Amino acid sequence: MRKNALAGWLLLAPALALLGGLVLFPIIYNAWLSLHDKHAFLTVQTFVGLRHYVYFAHDEEFWNSFYYGVVYAGSTMALQLVLGIPAALLLNEAFRGRNLLRGVVLFPYVIPTIVAVMLWKWLLNDSYGLVNHLLVTAGVVRVPLAWLGKDYIMWSLVLTSVWQFFPFVVVTYLARLQTIPPELYEAATVDGATAWRRFMHVTLPQTRNVLFVIVLLRSIWMFTKFDTVWLMAGEGGVSRYIRTLPVYAYARSFTYLQAGMGAALAVIMFVLLLVATAVYFRVFRQEEALA
Amino acid sequence: MRRRGAGRAAALYGGGLALLLVGAFPLFWMVSTSLKPSGEIFATPPRLIPAHPTLENFRRLLADTSFLTFFKNSVIVSFTTVALTLVVSALGAYGLTRFSFAGRDKVAGLILLTYMFAPIMIIIPFYILVRLLGIANTRLALVLSYTTFCLPFCLWLLRAFFQSIPLELEEAALVDGADRGRAVWHVVLPLALPGLIAAAIFTFILAYNDFLFALVLISSDELKTLPVGVNDLFNATIVDWGMIMAAGVMITAPAVAFFVAVQRYLIQGWGAGGVKG
Repeated sequence: MRKNALAGWLLLAPALALLGGLVLFPIIYNAWLSLHDKHAFLTVQTFVGLRHYVYFAHDEEFWNSFYYGVVYAGSTMALQLVLGIPAALLLNEAFRGRNLLRGVVLFPYVIPTIVAVMLWKWLLNDSYGLVNHLLVTAGVVRVPLAWLGKDYIMWSLVLTSVWQFFPFVVVTYLARLQTIPPELYEAATVDGATAWRRFMHVTLPQTRNVLFVIVLLRSIWMFTKFDTVWLMAGEGGVSRYIRTLPVYAYARSFTYLQAGMGAALAVIMFVLLLVATAVYFRVFRQEEALA
Repeated sequence: MRRRGAGRAAALYGGGLALLLVGAFPLFWMVSTSLKPSGEIFATPPRLIPAHPTLENFRRLLADTSFLTFFKNSVIVSFTTVALTLVVSALGAYGLTRFSFAGRDKVAGLILLTYMFAPIMIIIPFYILVRLLGIANTRLALVLSYTTFCLPFCLWLLRAFFQSIPLELEEAALVDGADRGRAVWHVVLPLALPGLIAAAIFTFILAYNDFLFALVLISSDELKTLPVGVNDLFNATIVDWGMIMAAGVMITAPAVAFFVAVQRYLIQGWGAGGVKG
């Protein structure tokens, strides 16, 4: 290893220039912007202090967005685990066609969001969609459901998102499962443990840490998800029944052109995530101390 | 014992079949719909496999819409982003692993921190900045934003790969009279190839998939990339499902092809750092 600081910095310079100029600077500028009234295009701006934050504290639309965001992130997170963990356990077993299936499971994650949303809108189409056809034929419902109407739009969004993102849970969990020493399972089997007990007493303790990371990352990413939510309903009509915080921030900035208010929403989102992450770490540590 | 084995096999194949349906059936339905003439698309009961398959939906998509323009833009932007990201992150990762300087680990930590910011949290100042720089509504703006958002992950990934390459190999090449550039080109980069490929896939998928930056930064139709362009098609008139599903097939094909071609390298990359999305 050479002690040549200049060369090191020079090699890093392009990366640092991009990250500094296009991420760090915007973050700071965003915080400053949130204290101003500013039109998205025009240069005029006036300092308003914390007025935007006070406004949102009493803004019904903000609290609705917060609620929808928590419902969306929470339910998609839980369902991704419910679907992803058994899938990973399955793909960790030896059987014919396993490698092919490992590839197929990744498809939903690899196809672009725009395709996933269009495809599910077609599957969930009220008159001609396959889902309604199957439900009616099977006698589960008597009349087709309006999946993309106001009553079910959140369900449809959750369904689409879970389908799109559960492969991440599969791949990450599977990667960890593969590193569990087989001796642990052999010992448990010799002791006469059932599959369920082996899962509870070997697999789960071994994969605690990766589950911790999966839940953390996926919750953050679902809470800040913009494209899937926005594409599902656009801006008009039923979109207000799934308007999460990212979509609300977008609407404030680029539809109402209130850049200052949009910036304040971005700061609020950031603080919420920071607090949630801190609490999450604390709870997890406590549990570990108890165990 | 035998009965348990049979039960286990039934459970495995039952679960496997269910997983296959969940993962692949929606895509199968997309392909099937894209090949149906319009009468069949709205038929009840729906047919799994088109009775009279046709490429008419694809023909309409290519002839009557700007799909090919969007496609061209997506390809240009994605590949430029991959090239730029690989160069910038490989240089940076090499600097971080082969030279020691004060604050090196702090810089690496700070770079990782920027990974935690979702685009939606900085899109507003980003947009204002891009307008100030005079590059709003250009492909360059898209390339720069995607490169920046892929950098933290790619830098960390390549840093891990470079760290695992023994310094002695490089020094041996230098002793043999190769200059530094040649040593890197012939020794370090080939050994880091799986990492470079994983970084390329990650970057390509992110750039090819992005909706938010393309929505905000691009205003003219001839510069739009696939996600925004196709969403416009979808919203424009009464939805032509056959054509939209044909568009879905055409958008998915390059992503899946790229992915399948280099998939085995991806698992290593995934192990090293995870993929965002």
